[in-house]
Amino acid sequence: MDHYPKYRSHLVPRTRDGWIATGAFLVLLALAMPPVTHSLLNRVEPVLAGLPFLYAVLLVIYCALIGVLVWTYGRGV
Amino acid sequence: METWVVATGLIFVYLMASLVLGVVANRKLTVDIEDFLLYGRKAGIFVLYLTVVATYHSAFAFLGSGGFFYVHGIGFWAAGTWTLLVGAITYVLGTRIWALGKRFGYITPADMLADFYESEAVRVAVAVVSVVFTILYIQVQAQGMGYIINVASGGRISFELGTLVLLGVAAAYLMAGGLRAVYWTDVLQGIWMYLAVWIGAVYLAYELFGGPLELWRAVEAQQPELITLPGPRGFFTPGMWVGMTVTLSFGLVMQPHMMLRYFTAADARTMRLLGATTPIYLMTLYIPAALVGLGGAVALPGLANPDTVFPELLFRHAPPWLTGIVLAGATAAAMSTLDSILHANMTVLTRDVYQRYVARDRSQAHYVWVGRAIVMALLAVGYVLSVTRAGFLVTLVTLSGSGALQLLPAVMGVCFPGGRGLTRAGVLAGLGVGLVTLYVTLVVTPHPLGMHGGVWGLLLNCAAALAVSAFTARPSADTVRRVHGEVERFVYGTEEA
Repeated sequence: MDHYPKYRSHLVPRTRDGWIATGAFLVLLALAMPPVTHSLLNRVEPVLAGLPFLYAVLLVIYCALIGVLVWTYGRGV
Repeated sequence: METWVVATGLIFVYLMASLVLGVVANRKLTVDIEDFLLYGRKAGIFVLYLTVVATYHSAFAFLGSGGFFYVHGIGFWAAGTWTLLVGAITYVLGTRIWALGKRFGYITPADMLADFYESEAVRVAVAVVSVVFTILYIQVQAQGMGYIINVASGGRISFELGTLVLLGVAAAYLMAGGLRAVYWTDVLQGIWMYLAVWIGAVYLAYELFGGPLELWRAVEAQQPELITLPGPRGFFTPGMWVGMTVTLSFGLVMQPHMMLRYFTAADARTMRLLGATTPIYLMTLYIPAALVGLGGAVALPGLANPDTVFPELLFRHAPPWLTGIVLAGATAAAMSTLDSILHANMTVLTRDVYQRYVARDRSQAHYVWVGRAIVMALLAVGYVLSVTRAGFLVTLVTLSGSGALQLLPAVMGVCFPGGRGLTRAGVLAGLGVGLVTLYVTLVVTPHPLGMHGGVWGLLLNCAAALAVSAFTARPSADTVRRVHGEVERFVYGTEEA
């Protein structure tokens, strides 16, 4: 019978920076997905910097997600 | 000078520039199939970045997305989530695909999957899915281009002739310079389309409302249902939001013209930087699209075809030069995607079909010429498909993305070691179940229970692949050690546990 190699799962981060990057990305992404978008964020008021609440908050979350990716690159994860 | 003269003239200036780049690329071309198909695996970040983003954003970024905002409101801002996921997927998955391609000389996704699963059936299935579902995409882009040139010329150039001319130009520079020509023209197209859509949208916001913030205030006052979920027609349910995010991120990454790009990067650092920064371009292009769509809904309600909102506003309210620049940008958006799809289909058919099953061991020059002949055939197929008009551009793009999405479990099985993994029988079963489910949930009973059909297809695909894999033979231990070992070394620098 063939001897198959064993590898630790690549779906689970192995370093502290990996955990931070994965956790931050998933939490922020969850904030930009249902049910948050269709309940907490689903309103026009308060207007933020002249933009409707839903649009403005999502824009901030998207920018934060880009920040996580750039941080990840900078840390060499 | 009349608007149509300026608009049509600027589109032809753009087309000439693309052809010149194709000719210059031809002079750099070596008689080498890897150079012709994969840019010699030496694309740097500047070229790779612009070709990736320009390829992602197609005719629908210009026309379909504005139309979606116009009809369904702010829900299309969900598009932001898929652009972010594309970055993360590129960072995590794209780098692995690059590493395996570099190490084992893969040219197509089918090369990679057939090698790992040790199956010619997998190769054929992947090649078929790659070609069938991206031909839909050729149709979308070609229709977009035909429409744009028809509008730009004020109806003087027919949709059919416009489609033929633009398809012909894309095929010409692709045949001349291979992927190098595609990449160089994508650089021009990526810059042009980004500037064009931003300048056009901001100009219209000031012209019609006095500025972007005033535009938002007008939408809130006059059509508040457009800036809350699920939109005036109830389209953006939670299930649809999640479904579009999944299909437009994983689904587009799985398309062959995107996976091929991962094989072309010069090094791993380039791939990681690409993943980290891709969303900056992709996401921010939807900001002006929202201005156009939502502003258009207020300023120009009742359009019979919402996809036309951007050009309609330009023709009514913008100077000719700006209309021309923006419409040329829209042409660039469509062509940058179209040329990539033509190239990917050519690559799959040349490498996975012709070189494998028709004529092995011919010269490199032979395969380059066969690739050119295949482009001509694809040009004819694309033209015939595109003169058969269809509805919403975005719906077609989503259907196309959902087909390629069914390759995800198989690709994950190659690129993510750990556990028992998938088998060739499992991958084929999953692909079959996924495609049948896709047909049922997109065509027969669209989006059951409010969930996008592509997600249903993926879920049942995964279930079938895992179930069948549990009882069937794995790839050989040597292959698992060779491929997964390479991934382990590339990502963590370690050997097996």
